Amino acid sequence: MNVELFGMARALAGVSHVELAVDEPVAFPEFLRALADAVPALVPDVVAPAADALVEPNLLLLDGRRGLRDGETFGEADRPCILFLASGG
Amino acid sequence: MTAFAGPRDLLEVDLSARTARRTPLGDDVFADALGGVALAVRLIEERVRGPLDPLGGDNPIVFAAGPFASTPVPAANKHALATISPLTGLLNEGLSSSHFSAVLRRCGLAAIVITGTADGWTTLAIDGDAVRFEDASHLAGLSARETTKALRDSYGDRSLRVCAIGVAGERGVRYAAVENDGRQAGRGGTGTVFGAKRLKAIALRGRGEVGIADPAATARLAATLRERALGPKTAKYRVLGTSANLRVLQRMGQLPTRNFTAATFAGAENVTPERARESAGTYVELRAGCAGCPVQCEHQYVRKGRDRRSAAASEYESVWAFGPNCGVDDLDAVLEAIGRCDELGLDTISTGSAIAFAMECAQHGLVASDAFGPELRFGNGAVLLPAIDAIAQRSAGLGDVLADGVRAAARRIGYGAERFAMHCKGLELPGYEPRALPTYALGLATCTRGACHNRAATYDRDLRDPSDDRGDGARARDAIEAEDRAIAWDSLVLCKFVRDCFDDFDTEAAALWSAVSGIALDAAGLRAAAQRTWERKRRINARLGWTPDDDTLPERLFAEGMADGPNAGRRVEPQHLASLRAAYESLRREAGMPLAVG
Repeated sequence: MNVELFGMARALAGVSHVELAVDEPVAFPEFLRALADAVPALVPDVVAPAADALVEPNLLLLDGRRGLRDGETFGEADRPCILFLASGG
Repeated sequence: MTAFAGPRDLLEVDLSARTARRTPLGDDVFADALGGVALAVRLIEERVRGPLDPLGGDNPIVFAAGPFASTPVPAANKHALATISPLTGLLNEGLSSSHFSAVLRRCGLAAIVITGTADGWTTLAIDGDAVRFEDASHLAGLSARETTKALRDSYGDRSLRVCAIGVAGERGVRYAAVENDGRQAGRGGTGTVFGAKRLKAIALRGRGEVGIADPAATARLAATLRERALGPKTAKYRVLGTSANLRVLQRMGQLPTRNFTAATFAGAENVTPERARESAGTYVELRAGCAGCPVQCEHQYVRKGRDRRSAAASEYESVWAFGPNCGVDDLDAVLEAIGRCDELGLDTISTGSAIAFAMECAQHGLVASDAFGPELRFGNGAVLLPAIDAIAQRSAGLGDVLADGVRAAARRIGYGAERFAMHCKGLELPGYEPRALPTYALGLATCTRGACHNRAATYDRDLRDPSDDRGDGARARDAIEAEDRAIAWDSLVLCKFVRDCFDDFDTEAAALWSAVSGIALDAAGLRAAAQRTWERKRRINARLGWTPDDDTLPERLFAEGMADGPNAGRRVEPQHLASLRAAYESLRREAGMPLAVG
């Protein structure tokens, strides 16, 4: 599964995309574990140490425009993105 | 009530009479209004009883120190500035930060109120308890940075702290900034009011002690906050800065482009400062930040081989204003535009928006495309500097027209130019797309300052899940919470970049306030103080002529769907905004807050 990285995730990974070895469709917990395995540098600043959550304010949006519903599974065709916004000082 | 432990004096300065009066504020004032924005708004309300000319002597400029400035609390060396905006005609409250904020308190001051108009260019020098009115005619025409250097040289004191205006403020550009320590209070034209008063600069020197009620508790709470502020919660600001938003908003199809005529920008990647960082062979990155702040969020860039003093800050809003919003994909041109605005003392958002507005007017034949020399068209980076110079100097013709802001400029140009003027209540829009962000659209419409993303930061909730349709009531609650939360932050005054460093902001921030000030405050008290201040803001605006009909958005957002990207076709339905506003006003009334009181 191809995942797009933005912001801190991209800075830490050093790449704009990462390929995860997961069975699709994947649930969020399995996705996070695969992400942490593929890019250990994302732990703990983007992925929580237990690989059970994204660290605020990082979030997963599908195609950059839709959040994940409880229990929802997704695949590469949903174009998962890890991103965040930063403003207002 | 326990006595307020910090500096408590109010300095009232009359530039016409060249008098200064210093009086202590009572404990009841601090219990009511904390400091920063809340205190500044309270002091404005006491002095603005009805309509006034923002450029007249009656318009007060208020400085109110952040109550944590010059204490161990990190990310808190900040102060508020408030006045009646020459751009909107309404209340304008902004923030600045760093050493000037700290020294304000070391002068024993909680606030300064400046009225009147000086006979000639003046520096207000506050040296501990002493106040002097000094001739500043030799400083006219200098930038804020040059003014600071000149004053330090003349005092022989490099620790002198100075806030000043540049040429734009002197010439009456209605969105002129006030700068101190390289930080700008940019929006709404506080620098214009400085200029109208012939106030070139304020020079501060103070070495007094700043009292803290409970030093041990303050040190403990501050240490916790500092440790968190050095951790992952602020890494995005330390490592990337706010300009990281460019790539994200582009991916989301929410990057306002070419004066909001598009939502994606093909050249976005070219002006992303992250790309400059990744091109280490081409650009040098410099870091800066406010005094006492562990985050050091400012990322500046300059081409290798060039003078490092010309490095420009790459804040998202500034890069957006001259990049995507003007259709310019040349990072050098964008950085030079930002640097020139800082040199001349211009707000970057309003300046970029004014130029984008003019580009669209030129596209439709409403203004001459050669008004500034190089062709005035979207995408032409070569026109940015000539346009900025013409605005700052109020050069005859289009520069002078744009210097009044897009609302006034559209009226002067006529022929339907209003449809290209992207503003709320006269303040130009920042770089978020209200058509895709309904809660943000509501927040922009109701914001007392006009289109300010820092007072109506409701985009955050929308962007976390753009597809979540949670109903008008929930959106109205979010908008109110964002407004009141911003007031609390801006009154304490804490930098919002440490917003994720609190587990329970109201409780923890109230504990900090109690430890520093000695006046007991709990979470409910903090929220009540914020609500009181919101009510005061509305009351001031009502006295100045605001009506509920002013709480609206630019016509384009209703009339034109987004042109491209995943949100293509989305627009703000007038009925939906009316419904959101009704929900908002109902909730405000339920909380006991009248919506407009003269």
